[in-house]
Amino acid sequence: MQLQDKHRIAVLSAYALALHGFESLLPTPIPWLRLGLANIITLVALVLYGFRTAMTVTLIRVVLASIFLGTFLGPSFMLSFSGGVASTAAMGLAYAAFEGLFGPVGLSLIGALFHNIAQLTLAYFLFIQRIEAVIFIAPVIILIGTLTGVANGAVSGLLIKKILQKDGENIQNDKAD
Amino acid sequence: MKTVIRSTTLADKLLFIALTTAAVAGIFYSREAMPKGSDVIIEVDGRTAYTLALDTDRVLSVPGPYGNTVVEIKGGRVRVKEAHCPNRLCEKQGWITRGAIVCLPNHIVISVGGKTENLPKGLDAVTG
Repeated sequence: MQLQDKHRIAVLSAYALALHGFESLLPTPIPWLRLGLANIITLVALVLYGFRTAMTVTLIRVVLASIFLGTFLGPSFMLSFSGGVASTAAMGLAYAAFEGLFGPVGLSLIGALFHNIAQLTLAYFLFIQRIEAVIFIAPVIILIGTLTGVANGAVSGLLIKKILQKDGENIQNDKAD
Repeated sequence: MKTVIRSTTLADKLLFIALTTAAVAGIFYSREAMPKGSDVIIEVDGRTAYTLALDTDRVLSVPGPYGNTVVEIKGGRVRVKEAHCPNRLCEKQGWITRGAIVCLPNHIVISVGGKTENLPKGLDAVTG
């Protein structure tokens, strides 16, 4: 890992952390409604710099954010962690396996879907253990996730385009190695 | 906005439509498949007087200070068919499948309870 990579990961993680922190301050009408703004950074990292960068940024963001918010190793940390890892892994797989098939919006939708699936599965095993409650809540969560996923994907798409226009030749994608 | 729409691929759009349709269908389906409260509990003066199955049709009279209150259970729903209290609010409430009918003058509480009471409280910590 070169110095430049470290620098890049640090900057991306800082942006992701800021969004994550900002989002946790927003009052939401329903407690489990989250916008998933930090996923914008994960997606930009994935498309521009490759899977390794995206996963590193996600792990740094989830762990540091939970320490800052005081939820480290608590239930909401576990849900956040599983959701973050699952969504990044799913987006990375979809991006690598079907090249060019999905744009940022599609990848974001996949990320949101797997984020929700991972959280619901974990929540079921750890906290709820009532399948009817999970079935009851899952479609609502997935619908909200789909809507916020489109918005995040659109923002990511714009951001990726802007960065490529401005700095296209300097970007090294770690997909090669 | 235009650039966003132009840069979405066909797969993106199909995925969005599929997810939205599945989620909306899932919402309706899960509401439908939800087991309803299975018991009708009739309390008189704060004590449980009757516990009846919601899926068995029957009519019964519950005595109270204002005479008999006629409770009807039919097709998985319950109502107060006839009451002789001053306001007859219980009668006006009509059929219920969950929740409760309260007849204050007659000291009667009819509630539909069961295994799925307070269901939506199941989640209280899911965060991103």
